[in-house]
Amino acid sequence: MQRNFFLFCFLLIAAGFSFIQSNDVTIEKIDKSKLQKLIKERKGKLLFLNVWATWCEPCREEFPAIVKLANEFKDVDFAGISVDFPEEIDSKIKPFVKSNKVNFPIYVNAFTNDEELINMLNKDWNGAIPATFIYDKSGKLIAFIEGKKSYEEFLKNIERARRK
Amino acid sequence: MNSLNKFLAAIFITALFFATLRADDNSIKKAENFKLKDYNGKEYQLSDFKDSKAIVIIFIATQCPVSNAYNSRMEKIYEEYKNKGVAFIGINSNKLESVEEVKEHAKKNNLNFVILKDVNNVIADKFKASVTPEVFVLNSEFDVLYHGRIDDSRKEEDVKSEDLRNALNEILQGKKVTKTETKAFGCTIKRVN
Repeated sequence: MQRNFFLFCFLLIAAGFSFIQSNDVTIEKIDKSKLQKLIKERKGKLLFLNVWATWCEPCREEFPAIVKLANEFKDVDFAGISVDFPEEIDSKIKPFVKSNKVNFPIYVNAFTNDEELINMLNKDWNGAIPATFIYDKSGKLIAFIEGKKSYEEFLKNIERARRK
Repeated sequence: MNSLNKFLAAIFITALFFATLRADDNSIKKAENFKLKDYNGKEYQLSDFKDSKAIVIIFIATQCPVSNAYNSRMEKIYEEYKNKGVAFIGINSNKLESVEEVKEHAKKNNLNFVILKDVNNVIADKFKASVTPEVFVLNSEFDVLYHGRIDDSRKEEDVKSEDLRNALNEILQGKKVTKTETKAFGCTIKRVN
């Protein structure tokens, strides 16, 4: 009886922890100054930045590859910027982030003007997503990857960036 | 002018030259005539519209939520300008969106302007179009007078700058278009490999 009670308590605590963990997803809003800071404050690591949206099918399709790479490359910072609306954090972004077991920070676009975000990341980019940007340790853009890519294609880009 | 100033001026002019070249690479300045069929099989040429004061070409999609957010706005603009000498052409270049789907989508969303199916994204390639929705406004010589978004927000209630309307109004008034290039997030056009 006592054993069952302890087992019950253990299961309850475990369930509690997993509940807390699964809800432990925070999506921060990102504006110009925050993005500048994210890109510039490198602390000796490369940055792999992916711009995506829940409404973008190719973005959703390539995401598991990025999560896999983020697990494999601990010497690279990974970050995502969702261009869904900030009011869709709970209804759309969080469920997607949770189901993909995303292990890196996800931000939501809070620029006053989408064009400002597009031009800040790359003046030659016209806003087609997904788009991925790799920055070196000094915050300089060293790779601009347009469109949906496979695990192998991203891997090649990361390895090239690490050699630079 | 001393030699340092001359040197700096030379660098400046060279930089300006390359900057212009770069801008040219990004978007087309002039369109070529093309032929495409609409979803009923009727063939159109761009030159069919050359008597118009302006030709609006919009790359659209049936499945892209951004393009779909603009369905009623596109139709409204078309209705507003069709009697002012502005031609309106939708082009669907997505490889996964069939002619039947384009037809059904137009019916369901009450899109009454011409919608052409660009099989194998040949015309999207010529225009260097990459997202939906993406607008090109041409004059009768097919010079690109405006390229970019319809307006500045997917949410109609948040729109602050009606860029396509502004460009059309300026053209109809015989003025130079003030803002010739704009950008917005959109769905990538799915091309054949």
